[in-house]
Amino acid sequence: MAKISVPHFLLLLLSFSICIAAKIYQPISDSHRSLASDLFTSTDPSYPSLEAAYEALRVFEVLGIEKKTHVSTTSCPKVLENLGSSSPLKDLYYALKVNGILKCKVDAKVLKGVASRLKATVKDASTLLDIYYSIGSLVLIKNQDSNVDVLLADADGTFHSIKALSQSDGRWRYSSDNPKSSTYAAGLALEALAGVISLASSEIDQSKVNTVKNDISKLFDTIEKYDDGTFYFDEKFVDGHEHQGTLSTTSSVVRGVTAFAAAIAGKINVCGLISIPLILSLPETVYSLTKKDQLKVRVTTALGSTAPPLTVKLVRAFSTGAKDSAIIESKIVLLDSDSKKDYATGGQIHVPIYVTGIIEVSNAEIAILDSDLGSVETRKTLDLAGNDVVSLSANHLQKLRFSFQLTTPHGHVFKPHQAFLKLRHETEVEHIFVVGNTNKKFEIVLVKISIPLILSLPETVYSLTKKDQLKVRVTTALGSTAPPLTVKLVRAFSTGAKDSAIIESKELQYDQKSGLHVLDIFPKNVDVGAYVFVFEIVLLDSDSKKDYATGGQIHVPIYVTGIIEVSNAEIAILDSDLGSVETRKTLDLAGNDVVSLSANHLQKLRFSFQLTTPHGHVFKPHQAFLKLRHETEVEHIFVVGNTNKKFEIVLVKPTLIAFELGVIEDFLGLVEKLFYLSGKYDIELTVGDAVMENSFLRLLGHVELDFPEAPEKASRPPPPAVDPYSRYGPKAEIAHIFRVPEKRPPQNLSLVFLGLILLPFVGFLIGLLRLGVNLKNFPSSTVPATFAILFQLGIGAVLLLYVLFWLKLDLFTTLKTLGFLGAFLLFVGHSTLSHLASTSAKLKSA
Amino acid sequence: MSKLILCVFLTFTLIPLLCTSFSSDTPSDRRVLVLLDDFALKSSHSLYFNSLHSRGFDLEFKLADDPKIALQRYGQYLYDALILLCPTIERFGGSIDAAAILDFVDSGHDLIVAADSNASDLIREIATESGVDFDEDPAALVVDHSGYAVSASEGDHTLIASDDLIKSDVILGSKKIEASALLIYILIALCAAPVLFQGIGHSLNPSNSLVLKVLSASPSAYSANPKSKLASPPSLTGSTISLVSVIQARNNARILISGSLSLFSNRFFRSSVQKAGSPIKHDKSGNEQFLTEVSKWVFHERGHLKAVNVQHHKIGEADEPAMYRINDDLEYSVEIYEWSGTAWEPYVADDVQVQFYMMSPYVLKTLSTDGKGRYFTSFKVPDVYGVFQFKVEYHKLGYSTLSLSKQIPVRPFRHNEYERFIPAAYPYYGAAFSMMAGFFIFTAVHLYNK
Repeated sequence: MAKISVPHFLLLLLSFSICIAAKIYQPISDSHRSLASDLFTSTDPSYPSLEAAYEALRVFEVLGIEKKTHVSTTSCPKVLENLGSSSPLKDLYYALKVNGILKCKVDAKVLKGVASRLKATVKDASTLLDIYYSIGSLVLIKNQDSNVDVLLADADGTFHSIKALSQSDGRWRYSSDNPKSSTYAAGLALEALAGVISLASSEIDQSKVNTVKNDISKLFDTIEKYDDGTFYFDEKFVDGHEHQGTLSTTSSVVRGVTAFAAAIAGKINVCGLISIPLILSLPETVYSLTKKDQLKVRVTTALGSTAPPLTVKLVRAFSTGAKDSAIIESKIVLLDSDSKKDYATGGQIHVPIYVTGIIEVSNAEIAILDSDLGSVETRKTLDLAGNDVVSLSANHLQKLRFSFQLTTPHGHVFKPHQAFLKLRHETEVEHIFVVGNTNKKFEIVLVKISIPLILSLPETVYSLTKKDQLKVRVTTALGSTAPPLTVKLVRAFSTGAKDSAIIESKELQYDQKSGLHVLDIFPKNVDVGAYVFVFEIVLLDSDSKKDYATGGQIHVPIYVTGIIEVSNAEIAILDSDLGSVETRKTLDLAGNDVVSLSANHLQKLRFSFQLTTPHGHVFKPHQAFLKLRHETEVEHIFVVGNTNKKFEIVLVKPTLIAFELGVIEDFLGLVEKLFYLSGKYDIELTVGDAVMENSFLRLLGHVELDFPEAPEKASRPPPPAVDPYSRYGPKAEIAHIFRVPEKRPPQNLSLVFLGLILLPFVGFLIGLLRLGVNLKNFPSSTVPATFAILFQLGIGAVLLLYVLFWLKLDLFTTLKTLGFLGAFLLFVGHSTLSHLASTSAKLKSA
Repeated sequence: MSKLILCVFLTFTLIPLLCTSFSSDTPSDRRVLVLLDDFALKSSHSLYFNSLHSRGFDLEFKLADDPKIALQRYGQYLYDALILLCPTIERFGGSIDAAAILDFVDSGHDLIVAADSNASDLIREIATESGVDFDEDPAALVVDHSGYAVSASEGDHTLIASDDLIKSDVILGSKKIEASALLIYILIALCAAPVLFQGIGHSLNPSNSLVLKVLSASPSAYSANPKSKLASPPSLTGSTISLVSVIQARNNARILISGSLSLFSNRFFRSSVQKAGSPIKHDKSGNEQFLTEVSKWVFHERGHLKAVNVQHHKIGEADEPAMYRINDDLEYSVEIYEWSGTAWEPYVADDVQVQFYMMSPYVLKTLSTDGKGRYFTSFKVPDVYGVFQFKVEYHKLGYSTLSLSKQIPVRPFRHNEYERFIPAAYPYYGAAFSMMAGFFIFTAVHLYNK
């Protein structure tokens, strides 16, 4: 963001102030200055580049901000460092520029070394930027230390190498291998050429200078214009370089052309062309040879500051009667070169001879010219014998050229004694120009660059309650004080009624202390409202009239505010059919009392109040809303209408019985608009206006509305807006509910039942003992006894296997083991049982 | 050999280029394209651009109708964010149109749009697509006869001093209040300078949950043409008018929409402000702080979260299992960090929740935190088997959305995992064994009794 060039910034400030108050120009004030010092110091006190430092310093200089000491402590070492070392040309250039402002203590030897190095680079430099920076640096050295020899030996060669880059349309190229031409570069080139001319040890060939002048005129053919009449140069060249905006392009061209014009001024004749950058203004807007006036010329720069030392020459003047023989030849007035202003005296005086006759009027033409360039904006031909009328428009930066030709009966050009052109304003202010004699055609220069005076109002809001004074400040654009003048209030009218003026022709008093023009007695008949005040600046001093431009009549929008009295507030419930009042309540809107009402859909609510201005007139505010709001945020707004001096709204309505069709639709709509929501509604009243100092928003009360049931088709109320704060809150925690395990009997109960289950077994054992069981039948011989034991063990093993199966074994192991045990049991069981059977058989047979 | 050197050289020069592009490691934007109506804005709004520049953004200024502007090249976006300060543009230059800008946002990039009175249809369309509806009347301005900024030169009450800001530290930044005394705190709270606004209002669609009012109008405001009489109720009134809104899309792209271009201007940044009816005159408006803080949020220098290191395991174990059994006790933990603009810092909050989810959440628990970014909790797996997910869906006002999910199956008990010896069955055990014992005794008695 460091790339804000200085003129760029100034224009920006101007456009910036335009934004503040539409169309009222504000002078540069302290707020601009503090903004500028903010902008240029806030980022980095030690400026990142010398270019930025220069820009800051230049802005401070132009605006008169005292920051130099602060900057010089950081920038001066950088300047010295850059000058001492072999830094790039651009840095060198800006180092010298910064030095020009800060006056750092630079050794003359260093400058000498730099100058010789620069001269060497000028010789081999090929690109425009290199030449521009080196020539620019040499010029700066020349200005800072006159002892250093900076004169260019081969000025013609350098001139030629710059000129070689120019294009046929007046633009320049950055370097020879870049075919694209740039307007910005043209400005740089012209500045460089101006530098070459001022540094030349011998005079530059005049023909070369003339070709450059041609280039300049071609360049100005490409000038463009904004809608408001402002001229600018546009940069068509878009390349890797940073794009140059129109502001910087224009400033570059203007700088280049002014520099070039300043450089050649002392050596060649200044003709119309040269007046382009340097504003050649005639303080005497009217001059006449017949009156033996002196021809006064003032040469200033576009911003109104004094021009560099120069001379103005009047080359030739022709008599209108004798076109070819020159009356004056090369009359030169050379003044001291140091003097700021040079004057050229007028030539011989022509005495008119009165020869009467019918004079033929021809070639009448009226044109608006641009004052700088002389290019024609509008041109209209006139038939002066007829009655045709032309309409033109121009601003103070332009010229009006009116020309016509008077021919004597002999066919010679005739110069009349009285040739007046009168400009008259609606307010009868008029000015008469004596048509002078220039160049075979009569030309007047109407308005020239003069210092614009800016009329501004510290406050455009005037409060009737505070009884402020209406204050007007007149300053120049840069905020310095204006010459003695009076400010006239031409008229004032309300924005609504442009034709009826409420104030006419008042003069404002000048307050010496504050430097303000004050309208001390504000007219009594001005009520609250928006007005347009038309001011005019009248310069007292006739000298200052020539130097300052007042800008004609200035329209300033003014708001007159006051406290509006609210009265007769009344809220009533009406029966809609009969119009009879059911409930009526008066309200004090200044207080805080709140009413409670109830109504149904067959009734009307009437609310009325009266607003009165301090002058007792009825006041219609811009904002007068009555809002009905349901608890569910459903709301409806009524604009309070204006009937019979009272604001009235009729709001709730009959649905079934109604006399007017239009009313039905209206009120059905209303019930629908409130979505058939019965319940409590808040009534809120907002009254406000730009000129009302006591705008308010107030809760009037509540109304309990009873609406019919919503029909099926009725639209649903819109979903209420989600509160952003509660939209994303944490959710409620969820815990899983586990299945409840089946209910089990207490362990003791199981043990009791286990005991009960075991009782039969115990009973069985007791029963066996009681029966007197014995094992006498057990085989007594060895082999059958072994088998019997094995058999019993086998049964026990199977049972044990079942227990093991229950405890730990799986089915496969169990079945496998059971298989073996089963085979074993089969065998021993068969042996045992057959032995027992045979034993019992023997016993039976025995 | 020279080729090799060239390759090495290229690699090393390209690495920094690649590193500066947008990545999930550093979510802040770096490259910003600024489209302007007029280059004069570059100077008249320079304080705002300076503040962005000083925070390290690489701003590229272009005219909005420049035929050479492009958002992407070879399918790659050239910028991380876009600033549209061109309210009157009817058609962008180059290949950009409203759809291209919305695609830019859809791909996760950020956008700042400033409209103004007589905003073009193009800008309105972009806003509408983002969920913001500007007042359709082209001449309407927001007017507030009670909350205007006292100004000597503006009498129509369209210059509004609004202090109705969203209460969110993450969007607007926490004001650094160092003094601990309550009195000073109150003073500072009173002195928070209002924000100056002059432009058009918009409303938000209530069903759109992504868009937030950051700066809203006061209840007495309305949107209408201040120069003409009101015939019908204005479409926008009261605090439903939003002056500045932000949107965080589902992909965490962020959008700022303002109804005023001068909100960003040096003039508003530096002008003093006194709200109507308030005795306090502030030397400087709140615009600079407001916009600096909001753009920090928009450009992801704040409120951007990331979650790493999601872990879960059974209590007492360290490794993540492939599957849980019903009724297992598990521990879940995640680390959440917030991007501070320069580094990832632990995020501290008490409302991060985890869900154990299958079709619907079975368990939803708030995570506890250790204050160093780690969030953890433990719970019992529900006795429902199936494929579950650990889900963290974290939405918080102003923060980017965190959405994590991790799938994990849950199985029922195996046959041998049930309870082995049940006391209630002791009678049955006793019956069986007493019968077996009886059988053994009976066999012996039956066979060998005489």
